[in-house]
Amino acid sequence: MKPCRLLAVLLLALPLSAQVVVDPGPRGGTPDAGGPLASVAANNPFKILDFFLNAEQRFQEIGSVKGTIVGAPDDGLGPRFNALGCARCHAHPAVGGSSPAVNPQVADGKAQGAANVIPSFITSTGVIKEARFVYFTDASGNPVTSQPNGQVMPLFTIAGRTDSGSCTTAFIQQPNFANAVAKNNIAFRIPTPLFGLGLVENIDDSALQMVLTQHYTGPYYVGGTFNRSPNDGTISRFGWKAQNKSLELFAGEAYTVEQGVTNELFTQERPSPEENRDQGPGLAVQCRLNPTPEDHTNLDVPAEDTPSDTVMFALFMRLLKPPVENMGNPATNPNFSRALNGSTIFIDIGCNSCHRDKFTTEPSSITPDLSSKVARLHSDLEIHHMGTGLADNIQQGNAGGDQFRTAPLWGLGKRRWFLHDGRTTNLITAINAHQSPGSDANPVILNWSLLTPTAQQDLIYYLRSL
Amino acid sequence: MPLLFMMVLWLSAQGAVPKDVILVPGAVPSASDTTTPVPEAGQLGGGRYRNAYFGLTYPIPAGWTEQPAGPPPSDAGGYVLTQFATMEEQRLKAHVLVTAQDLFFAPFEAAGAKELSAMTRGQVPARYEFDKGPDQVTIAGRTFYRLAYKAPVSGLRWRIFTTDVRCHTLTFTFTGTDVAVLDAAEKALGGLALDGKAPVCVNDYARDHAVTKTTPAFANRYNTIPVRVIIDTEGKVKHAHLLSAFPEQSQAILTALRDWRFEPYVVDGKAVEVETGLVFGLPRLVVR
Repeated sequence: MKPCRLLAVLLLALPLSAQVVVDPGPRGGTPDAGGPLASVAANNPFKILDFFLNAEQRFQEIGSVKGTIVGAPDDGLGPRFNALGCARCHAHPAVGGSSPAVNPQVADGKAQGAANVIPSFITSTGVIKEARFVYFTDASGNPVTSQPNGQVMPLFTIAGRTDSGSCTTAFIQQPNFANAVAKNNIAFRIPTPLFGLGLVENIDDSALQMVLTQHYTGPYYVGGTFNRSPNDGTISRFGWKAQNKSLELFAGEAYTVEQGVTNELFTQERPSPEENRDQGPGLAVQCRLNPTPEDHTNLDVPAEDTPSDTVMFALFMRLLKPPVENMGNPATNPNFSRALNGSTIFIDIGCNSCHRDKFTTEPSSITPDLSSKVARLHSDLEIHHMGTGLADNIQQGNAGGDQFRTAPLWGLGKRRWFLHDGRTTNLITAINAHQSPGSDANPVILNWSLLTPTAQQDLIYYLRSL
Repeated sequence: MPLLFMMVLWLSAQGAVPKDVILVPGAVPSASDTTTPVPEAGQLGGGRYRNAYFGLTYPIPAGWTEQPAGPPPSDAGGYVLTQFATMEEQRLKAHVLVTAQDLFFAPFEAAGAKELSAMTRGQVPARYEFDKGPDQVTIAGRTFYRLAYKAPVSGLRWRIFTTDVRCHTLTFTFTGTDVAVLDAAEKALGGLALDGKAPVCVNDYARDHAVTKTTPAFANRYNTIPVRVIIDTEGKVKHAHLLSAFPEQSQAILTALRDWRFEPYVVDGKAVEVETGLVFGLPRLVVR
């Protein structure tokens, strides 16, 4: 028997269980995301499109310390930062998305002659990362378990840049990431996609609470609770742990933490957690280079230039249209019917319990396409225990070390990296990671394991259609 | 908690943060003492799962193995007690999830297992096929409400058994693809024991019959803190179990409850222990 014929016979003889389920990877073709809601594109109400376009342009601007660098007009960068602009990270598959194929942090950390060392976990083909230290450390660099840290440790400083002035390495240094990695004292987050967030913002708490009740009466026990605003007790819903109540807060926090730009919500230059520790010295005066807040309402300009960047970033997120689900053309996509089958299996095994397919928004005062619309976000916006395997040991609000907001799955078909820390590019690995001691999702993953390989593959095709 | 303590000791010795451990747990369960049984403290041994709080002994079907532990009790009174699964030829064939729902803190209005079973049935998609078979069965001398159905597309089958214990619902959810395996698991459920020795349980007794109480002082985090208490024959708190609370909240509540006094619960002219519930922080969420 010829070798190739023997191989064919052997393959046919393989039991069903030996079939390999594969993730085909990010869906090709058009981005199926990005750009304004249809009512915004139609300029309803009058002038809203001008505001959106202005916001989109600001979202893509590159930052520099004083705004004096050619091509980097957005002032206020640093003294610590993770990237030079919003769209550096929120880029794929369109402006407002998540991590692109090439990580811009490698270039951003060295831009304008900056003296930064690129941390070992940042690579040009890897995912964009934000880092947090789990614990503060002692003089020897050992984690001190009685002193949880949990705050963002920006990767880079402006020291060495041509526009850094007095802020030199004598006054500001990068955290010791090599030690943090060696001591496993570090947790990562990747950028969340921003498409459709105006719809998310406009879902009433009562609708979310109704779904939570169904967790406790349905055939799948998945627990769940809400993270809540410490100010008014209402349900917060943005960020990996649903730690932010509103898009404006989300934007203001990111602007100061990721780019170092003080704003009307976060008004002081942010020292590193270490500089603030034990009533420490704070940020060196040599590195406080601009009057604060650096981003503010512009009172001397007309119309859409008046609001601050923070307000316009929030507006941009609010008016971005949601991702488009795309199973392809039934006539030309051989996997169309399998993806359709997968949408049923998604419900059968209980994914839909937490990755709730849709909510209806409330009447909106902003634009018709935010008003009483169906948002197919595939998330209950609750925080769930995800177990020891996914725990990052960072507490934010009421979300403990292993609790995360159910990640919305809209746009998943285009995503390159999965889970809060971007640990995998493979959907199957991401699914299996939902199972570990302490996870709300354990029964659902057992249901996934009950499926035939064909049914599992159908589900993967469905997920890549989102 | 001892495991966490040991991990912290290990961490101190090694100088590195251990992997795959929850060191910053958020809201967790706690209790006023370590001797009174609590629902989340079931144990496995001798081929049986035992839960002293519910008086439950569940003989694990032959060939079934324990699965990763569930999450801590929820702030809505939900418990994952344990989970087992069985495999054949390296393929999962079926699993059983054992859960409990504290009816004092549930986010729905239901008097017990019968209503909860009906609610669950109401959530089953219309395209699913219900099996023939009884809606009620008697196991361990108790009435269990039974739901059995199949999802035609995925081929998954469910058999769900729910009963009432100690003002909780106790549910066994079997899921699998093989009828024979599910039949055998259902048959093995016949070996279940529920001894039923427990204080009488009365919803809202503590709320309505407090004589003396002081408000515990803790910062409001806008979380719901459900607390099961056993009140002794003198009206004192004999035992308190906080299902879900941050450590500073637990400490403040347990300290305050030491001073609380209630009217003793009386049955046939005689004071008896009573088990009831209290909620601190954000009120219980109930969607009607």
